[in-house]
Amino acid sequence: MAKTQLDEINRNIYDIKNKDNYDYKIKKGLTKEIIEEISKQKNDPDWMREFRLKALEVYNSLALPTWGPDLSELNMDEIATYVRPKSKLNSSWDDVPEDIKNTFDKLGIPEAEKKSLAGVGAQYDSEVVYHSMREELIKQGVIYTDMETALRDYEDIVKKHFMKCVPVNDHKFVALHGAVWSGGSFVYVPKGVKVDIPLQSYFRLNSPESGQFEHTLIIVEEGASLHFIEGCSAPKYNKVNLHAGCVELYVKDNAYLRYSTIENWSKNMLNLNTKKAIVGKNAKMDWVSGSFGSKISMLYPMSILNGENAKTEFTGISFAGGGQNLDNGFKAIHNAQNTSSVVNAKSISKNGGKCTYRSLIRINENAKNSKSSVSCESLMLDDISVSDTIPTNDIRTDEVEFSHEAKIGKISDKAIFYLMTRGLSEEDALGLIVRGFAYPISKELPIEYAAEMNNLINLELEGAIG
Amino acid sequence: MSSLKLNETPVRTSRNFNINNIKLENIDLPNKIKKFQNVIINKESQKDLIYDNIHDFEIKYGLGIEKYIKENSNSKIKLNVITKTTKDILIEYKFDENNINLLENIEIVLDENTKSNIIIKYDSDKEVKAFHAGIIKVFAKPNSVSNITIVNLLNQNSNNFISIDNEINENADIKYTIIDFGGQNSITNYYSNLIGDNSNNIINGIYLGTNKQLFDLNYIAELRGKKTNVNIEVQGALKDEAKKHFKGTIDFKRGSKKAKGNENENCMLLSNSARSLALPMLLCSEEDVEGNHSTSSGKAGEKELFYIMSRGFSEKEALKLLVRAKFNSILETIKNVELKNRLIYEIESRLD
Repeated sequence: MAKTQLDEINRNIYDIKNKDNYDYKIKKGLTKEIIEEISKQKNDPDWMREFRLKALEVYNSLALPTWGPDLSELNMDEIATYVRPKSKLNSSWDDVPEDIKNTFDKLGIPEAEKKSLAGVGAQYDSEVVYHSMREELIKQGVIYTDMETALRDYEDIVKKHFMKCVPVNDHKFVALHGAVWSGGSFVYVPKGVKVDIPLQSYFRLNSPESGQFEHTLIIVEEGASLHFIEGCSAPKYNKVNLHAGCVELYVKDNAYLRYSTIENWSKNMLNLNTKKAIVGKNAKMDWVSGSFGSKISMLYPMSILNGENAKTEFTGISFAGGGQNLDNGFKAIHNAQNTSSVVNAKSISKNGGKCTYRSLIRINENAKNSKSSVSCESLMLDDISVSDTIPTNDIRTDEVEFSHEAKIGKISDKAIFYLMTRGLSEEDALGLIVRGFAYPISKELPIEYAAEMNNLINLELEGAIG
Repeated sequence: MSSLKLNETPVRTSRNFNINNIKLENIDLPNKIKKFQNVIINKESQKDLIYDNIHDFEIKYGLGIEKYIKENSNSKIKLNVITKTTKDILIEYKFDENNINLLENIEIVLDENTKSNIIIKYDSDKEVKAFHAGIIKVFAKPNSVSNITIVNLLNQNSNNFISIDNEINENADIKYTIIDFGGQNSITNYYSNLIGDNSNNIINGIYLGTNKQLFDLNYIAELRGKKTNVNIEVQGALKDEAKKHFKGTIDFKRGSKKAKGNENENCMLLSNSARSLALPMLLCSEEDVEGNHSTSSGKAGEKELFYIMSRGFSEKEALKLLVRAKFNSILETIKNVELKNRLIYEIESRLD
């Protein structure tokens, strides 16, 4: 049988570059003066300015990780950490400057907003340029706004929660985030309110040799529920761009939060993102993650199950092509009785790409009668790619049911042959199998996003047989 | 007294997960030690060779104290298997008050087309505070077949460090059974380089921890040849405050087409203070392979316990039966009846 050969992803929509037409761009580098200047530009309250400076000290005191992908090409002296676009925050797309609006149009954001979203936030470089939410949610007391507005209008809530779930000393890039963060979304869902239609924030980085450090803070109060979608992309430049965002999620007792991410950063991006959720009694936190872009990704969302009967599920797929090193995974910490975690992780490597699944499941002494089940599957589409599975399982109580399984391998020639005997071309057979492999993840996404993911897979497989 | 950092994994993960290596405090590394006298070597075939001048071989991964072991070795054995035999070649070290420190260096060369059963056993008097650190290097030449059984029955005052390194050539078939019951700290590094096409390596391991025993097991298999096969099966039980770190790596190197690797580790927790930490890794740089791993941890089945107890057994007896049943599939592969009976006795007495 002819060898399966896959082309690189067609990124033409995502690779649209606008002129680097900013209102303000801070000079490159990371010094106390630069941090103070960012704080001044953003009119931070004093506590936030002090927080940033302390975070810088922590950043300088921490070493780079001694594990995972090589980050030696990252030089903070070559990165501008704050780029303010030539746009204020708008609540109508008509008010967004033409070039920026065109970009989001081509990415389909305003269209998706009309069809299937209850609210949208759009960030361009370091600041949010558009934010809007349906009237009925505003009436129910739901708050969905950019972090700057939240820091000004809801300072007490932000101060109480900001970088408490993800402490600034967690690791070096969290400390960096604490020092230079800007943009991001704030969501507050009051007690008992069910937000049935998803909210979406889209993050676009246009400026070369810069970083995006958005902060997402979501609080879902008791008995409330929310589905939040995060999308991100950037055009490709020759030099490294950096994304070190931070997502903090508070899922209170009996609440439900689903956090879906479609990540499609350009292949010069270092994606060193941190996401963490604290989950209360009888609450549930679901993560759905599609990771397609980035040169290097190190991303391990974490659920801390602090309340009895708290549950979490992670469903994720990584798709690494040539030159990509996607080191992704999940962490669950069981801290209370009867908690449960379910992980279903998949990866596809091709054209010399590398996928790593790295995880931690820790079931602590007090988490009696807890359950955890982990399944990972890796598909290799050629013999020059790499796929590693590096899970850590730390079980500290006997009253537990824990199981982990992983599989690695190629698409069986027999399966392709079988489908071809049923009249499918080799290309269609391959596409069917890969989409079937990704189906457990795509079925968890809203239909528009599942279609987008399938399109991405189809684009990858076009002209793949040779 | 030394503070030691040993048994590094071939690939690091986050330092916060506390599994990249094992740190031990206050370990006394003896030196200038006298020759270990209490060793029994029992071989059936007069033709197989045993002598004490071994050459300085490389250890790819190891525990991290191999240089120390080589420089201070007080027992060197080279075993060259040149026949086909079904009978056991036994090397038994027995620690007593006159032989408390053993730093042994064993080289095993399995010549082409040979067959062998090799048992290496470490045993101790109850009271002695033994220190054991050893290297076992195996060269399996083409078409050699060997069953190698390593048994650690040291008491819990002792420290046990073993570094095993195998080179497995074309069509060679090496099966290991590693029984790990003894030592306050028992640290094992196992590495197989499946360099020859069609080479096969099966590793069956059992650990049983009680009191404050600590096991750190780092099993690594690199598949390089075509159609190579590795199967790692580890069964364990932990009681009291015993801890186990299991690090198992199957690494499919580019070119290992049609290779297969399976790894399964299962830990039965017999107390709420026992701790099981596992890192089962699959590393893959070759498309045309099949790799699977699984790990599980959990309490002894309550239904099974209840059933056995309803037949008149005490809870303790019922637990012993469950642990024995768990180990049975591996114990059954041990052909040496005397050894098998001794292991059953040890399981019973260590769970008392």
